[in-house]
Amino acid sequence: MSSELLDDPTQRVVENLAWKLRRRQIVGSRATALETLRVLHQVISDSPFSNMEQLVTIVRGVGRRLVEAQPKEHSVGNTVRKVLHHIREEYNTATRGSGSTTTSYSGFSISKFVQLGQPRKHTVLPKAESRGSLKENDSDDPDSFARSLRPVLKEAIQDVLDELETVYDNVSKNAPNHIHSDEIILTLGMSKTVEAFLISAAHNRNYTVMVLETAPSYGGRDMAKTLSTAGISTFLVPDSSLYGLMSRVNKVILGAHAILANGGMFAITGSLLAATAAHAHSTPVVVCAGQFKLTPLWNLYHEYGALDFGDPNQVLGFEEGSLVDKVDVVNPFYDYVQPDLIDAFITNDGDHPPSSIYRLIKETYDDEDNEL
Amino acid sequence: MADPTTTSNEPSASTSGSQPSGSQPSQKTMTKAERRELQEKQRAAKLAQKQTGGDTKPKAKPKPARPTEATSSSGADASRSHPKDAAASTTVVEGVTSKSRSLRIFSHFGLPKHGPGVKGDIHPSIIRLALQFSEFRICGANARCIATLTAFKTVIQDYTTPPNNTLSRHLMSHLSPQITHLVSARPMSVTMGNAIRQLKLEISGSDIDMPEQDAKDLLCQKIDDYIRDRIIIADEVIQDLACKKIKDGDIILTYARSSVVEKVLLSAYKQGKRFSVIVVDSRPLLEGKALLQALTSAPPVSWTLSNDSLLPPPPPIPCTYALLPALPSLISEATTVILGAHSLHSNGAVFSRAGTALVAMMANQHSVPVLVCCETYKFSEGVMLDGFGKNELAPSHLFQTSPQAPNLEILNPLYDLTPPSCITAVVTEVGLIPPSSISSIPMALGRISL
Repeated sequence: MSSELLDDPTQRVVENLAWKLRRRQIVGSRATALETLRVLHQVISDSPFSNMEQLVTIVRGVGRRLVEAQPKEHSVGNTVRKVLHHIREEYNTATRGSGSTTTSYSGFSISKFVQLGQPRKHTVLPKAESRGSLKENDSDDPDSFARSLRPVLKEAIQDVLDELETVYDNVSKNAPNHIHSDEIILTLGMSKTVEAFLISAAHNRNYTVMVLETAPSYGGRDMAKTLSTAGISTFLVPDSSLYGLMSRVNKVILGAHAILANGGMFAITGSLLAATAAHAHSTPVVVCAGQFKLTPLWNLYHEYGALDFGDPNQVLGFEEGSLVDKVDVVNPFYDYVQPDLIDAFITNDGDHPPSSIYRLIKETYDDEDNEL
Repeated sequence: MADPTTTSNEPSASTSGSQPSGSQPSQKTMTKAERRELQEKQRAAKLAQKQTGGDTKPKAKPKPARPTEATSSSGADASRSHPKDAAASTTVVEGVTSKSRSLRIFSHFGLPKHGPGVKGDIHPSIIRLALQFSEFRICGANARCIATLTAFKTVIQDYTTPPNNTLSRHLMSHLSPQITHLVSARPMSVTMGNAIRQLKLEISGSDIDMPEQDAKDLLCQKIDDYIRDRIIIADEVIQDLACKKIKDGDIILTYARSSVVEKVLLSAYKQGKRFSVIVVDSRPLLEGKALLQALTSAPPVSWTLSNDSLLPPPPPIPCTYALLPALPSLISEATTVILGAHSLHSNGAVFSRAGTALVAMMANQHSVPVLVCCETYKFSEGVMLDGFGKNELAPSHLFQTSPQAPNLEILNPLYDLTPPSCITAVVTEVGLIPPSSISSIPMALGRISL
């Protein structure tokens, strides 16, 4: 285990976050991603490492600990993968800067994609290259490697952090292109990304939103309240009216919990029902999500079933008395929505069809990190 | 594009006023006083709208356009000197605009009309029934139909034909204000419509020479027959037919609560079939809890003697309860979906509690057979294409759990329409038939009563 490589205070920070995740004191994909990033920042600045492998092992170890604490929060693992990808990239540029190789990367080609599994991966240099100022395993000064690499790594983490912090603005940048005047938009649950998207569209467009209540969390009620306060004409409807209203809906806009490699997604319960009803009426389904939700994962084992379960009390409370001990109550947390039900993903970095998600994932993460 | 708020004002004027939008002066060309007047009128309209429960008939609104028309030319320069003021007033107007615009598509949903504007004396039993309807104490197509017919029996018994009139001619004119009163409490269900049409037929066909009391007794007898034949016996036949489709080990999924489905499940249980039930439910009515209550408190069958050996009482029906969003996770487990109906249309579409269509759609996708239990007296002649055209909203004061905000409207549609493509078979008292054959049933019954 890599945990021995960490010093005590850092170890404590990691454990602290792991427990918070496990107890669900931190929930939501963006919040968890931000916390993970903070921990990784501290790990990189405080822990000792003298070569690349050590650094990767340390970061991976931390990542594994956090993911194991809460496997349902996929953005934790994604953040770690992204940081690892950046670490390798910075390392490569640092070593190549003084190296003799002049591999100039020229555009995208299918053959390269097939060969490397990544369209824009920089050609990996052979190990024996001279490292210039970057010295690994320097026995005189074991900290020299870390000292020279740390500033760029911190910068890289800052970049990831900036991306996370501007995610809502960047997702909603394109909103007027997707929502047109007098349209009726259907959405559900409480998603900050969708909320920002809709409010941003309301600056230029006059349209109507129908929000499903989304039992049993009733996040739709909060959503409806914020949207109507922002001046959008809003209708709050129960989940049951979905099919009846769908014939008048122009577009369904959903939030995502995690976007999977095949273009499907995990989203709050009710999303699958809404997407299926939209499909039956040939209504486009659009998903708003930041790219930190891209997850190199396939949903092989719970094709339709829920991934996680919520509190049954929300469905059938104890006030129902005698019913409670006679009845099984099911309260799934997420739905798996298949890629064929989704028309487009609107991300902070452009709009993508579900079929190109795998390419984004290949670009964002290194294959070797898929399993932390 | 320079001033989107002003342009968006125009649709509101054309909806609320009766004149074409072309003659409408824009917001900018009005004087300050006019704008204020307009603003106040719109506020009043908004208030009035709230009080009438969001009823948006155009006549209910004041016509803000009228007074501005005459002076529109003189106000042109005045607004240029007060651009700020204009902007302030248009934002208010815009709120009203968007609201009335979007309400327009829901305006036909028909909220219950409040008000005592019914002429003639209303029988106390009808007043009582109307109150029970409007508060959803009596809810469901069968229950409402039986309650209405039973109340009409009292009305008929208490009726005396005025001099110089005959029962067959006058009784219906005595009943129609009663019906109007019931409809003002809640829109009439198809079942009630069918039953009342039958009653009208019986009244007009009653013998003029018959003594009045005998004629009334005969009518009450006919009503009893109708309830017995078309509802109670029909339900028993449906129970028998549907039970044959339940096998040991089945997992039956049902949505909300239908009185027929409840009877089917309970009778299958009494026949000794061992199956489990998934009850899916949704706001606003959450009727599934009542079904759960009925299923879990099924009378414990005591030790039974069969083939000279004592058998222990069977375990209660295992029930699973979930809300509608959880449906996709559960549907793959189900072996049969059994649903109830409010009415059945001649194209095979089932008009039923909101959410039923979602259940049927998911079941159809997962290749789970969908049975709809429906008596033939629920058949309706018309064709319906979507559940949006004709619907009913649950009164918001009964189901208020939601936040209040200025631009927020809360809609609780009670019904939706399941397309025939999602239905495997309809269980009626004349047998299991595919939805495509619905239109032939009234013919097969010899149109005796439809």
